[in-house]
Amino acid sequence: MLKKRIIFTLLYGDGQFMLSRNFRLQRVGNLDWLERHYNFSHISFFVDELVVLDVTREKRDFDDFCEMLRHLSRGCFMPIAVGGGIRSLDQARELLRSGADKILVNTPVFDHPEFVRRLVSEFGQQCVVASLDLKKNSAGTHQIWVDSGSRRLEDSASKWIQWILEQSVGELYLNSIDQDGTGQGYDFSILDQLPSNFPIPVILAGGAGNAHHLATGIADCRVDAVATAHLFNFIGDGLEKARKELITSGIELPLWIPPINDQKVNLI
Amino acid sequence: MKNRITVIDYKMGNICSVLNALTYLGYSASVSSDCREILDSNVLILPGVGSFRRAMMTLCQTGLDQAIVEAVIDKGSKILGICLGMQLLAQSSTEDGKTRGLGLIPANVERFKQDGLNGLKVPHIGFNQVTSESDSILFKDLPSQVDFYFVHSYRILPAGLPGKAAHCCHGETFLAAYEWDNVFATQFHPEKSQTNGLKLLKNFLLEVSPEK
Repeated sequence: MLKKRIIFTLLYGDGQFMLSRNFRLQRVGNLDWLERHYNFSHISFFVDELVVLDVTREKRDFDDFCEMLRHLSRGCFMPIAVGGGIRSLDQARELLRSGADKILVNTPVFDHPEFVRRLVSEFGQQCVVASLDLKKNSAGTHQIWVDSGSRRLEDSASKWIQWILEQSVGELYLNSIDQDGTGQGYDFSILDQLPSNFPIPVILAGGAGNAHHLATGIADCRVDAVATAHLFNFIGDGLEKARKELITSGIELPLWIPPINDQKVNLI
Repeated sequence: MKNRITVIDYKMGNICSVLNALTYLGYSASVSSDCREILDSNVLILPGVGSFRRAMMTLCQTGLDQAIVEAVIDKGSKILGICLGMQLLAQSSTEDGKTRGLGLIPANVERFKQDGLNGLKVPHIGFNQVTSESDSILFKDLPSQVDFYFVHSYRILPAGLPGKAAHCCHGETFLAAYEWDNVFATQFHPEKSQTNGLKLLKNFLLEVSPEK
C-alpha cells in the first residue's frame, strides 16, 4: 500500500532560511546555523520528503541557491522538490543536477503554461509539481494568488484547478495563505476546491503546528502528503517526536531505522 | 584489482543524489558519458529521471547504448539500473511511442493499467512496501517487507522473468527490483529511500566491489 508522506518545507532567501506567517517573512539563519542549531542532516531522517523554496522577493541569486542545495542535499536521502523563480529549462536542469528531484512551479503555471508543458516533456510528469497559494475572499470563495501571494487571479480556485489538470503536472501542492505560519492547523476547505477523484497526488500545506495537525491532514482521504514549514515548532527533535507519535497512534507512515544521533546508520 | 565504479551520465539522471549516497557509504565513483570509460569499469550505475524515449535517443546518439551492452554482456561488468535506469535495461517501453531499450532485462515497460487502479493515482509517488525473496543480494538483512520511495508512471510486470524479483503493488503487482547474474535494477530510488535505500546500495556495493 502506498503510504502517505510528511514533507518538511524550507524557505530560503538572500542567503538565509526564513519563517513565513501569512507570507510575511522573517529571517532565522543560514545553512551553518541550520546545521549547528538543529543538526539538519540528522532530523532529515525523520521526514519523507523535503521541499526547498527560494522565497526571495527582489533579486534572486540562483547560483547561491544551487550552492546551498548542493550542501543541503549531501546528507539528505529523501526526495527533494525545489521551487521559486524557476523560469527556464536550463535553471531546472541545473537544480536537478544540484540535488533536486522535482521542480515546483507556482506563478508560471498560470502566466507561462507553455513553459510548464516543456518542463513536463523534458523531465517527465512525475518531476513537476504545481504549487498553488490560496486565500479566501470576503465572500468565502477561494482564490489563487501568484507572485509570492501579491497578485490575485480572476476566477475561482476550483475553476483553475480544473484547468491545471489538463497541464499534465505530477503533483499539486496546495498552500493556504490564511493559515500559513499560524501553527493553528490546516485549512481543509481548500481541499473542497478539488474535483472528486482527483487523479494526481495532493500535498496539503499551510498551518500545521503540531503532530495532531499532521495526523488530521493525513486522515483526509483527499490528501496524499502533508507539509509543514514551521521551522521552530518542528525542528530540534520536534519532527522526530511527531513522527513517532503518529506511528504509535497507528498511522501507516514509511518505516526505516533512523541513525542514532550523529552515528552513520548501522549499515554494515 | 580495485573495482572501478562509474555512474553513467546521459544528462537525465539525478547524478548528484546517487553520488551523495555512494559518498555517505564511503565509496568513490566517477561520473562519465565516455564509452571507453564505461567499457573500462566493472561496476556501472545507470540512474535516470525523465522520458524513456528521450533517454534512449541520447544513449543511442552517444553510442552509450552499445558500450553499456558490451560492458555487461561481453565483459561481465555489473550494472545497477535505478528507476528510469531500470526501465532502460528492458527490451522496450511504450512511453511516447514504442521505443527499443537496452535488452538486458527480458521484459517490456508499459504504463500502469487504468482499469486496475480503482482510484489509485498515477504517477505512483511515495513510499510503498516492497516484498523480496529471501536469498536476494540487494535485500540482504532488510525485512522481507520494506518501504522504498517510488516515482513513476510506467512499470514492468514480473511474470515469466528469469532471476530474482522483488514485488510491489499499486493496483497490480509490478517489478520493484530485479537481479539476474550481473544485472541489478530497482524501480524505486534507493538513494531517496532513507536508510532502507542506503542499506540496499551498501548490499549492492559489497557484492560487486568488496573493497572501498
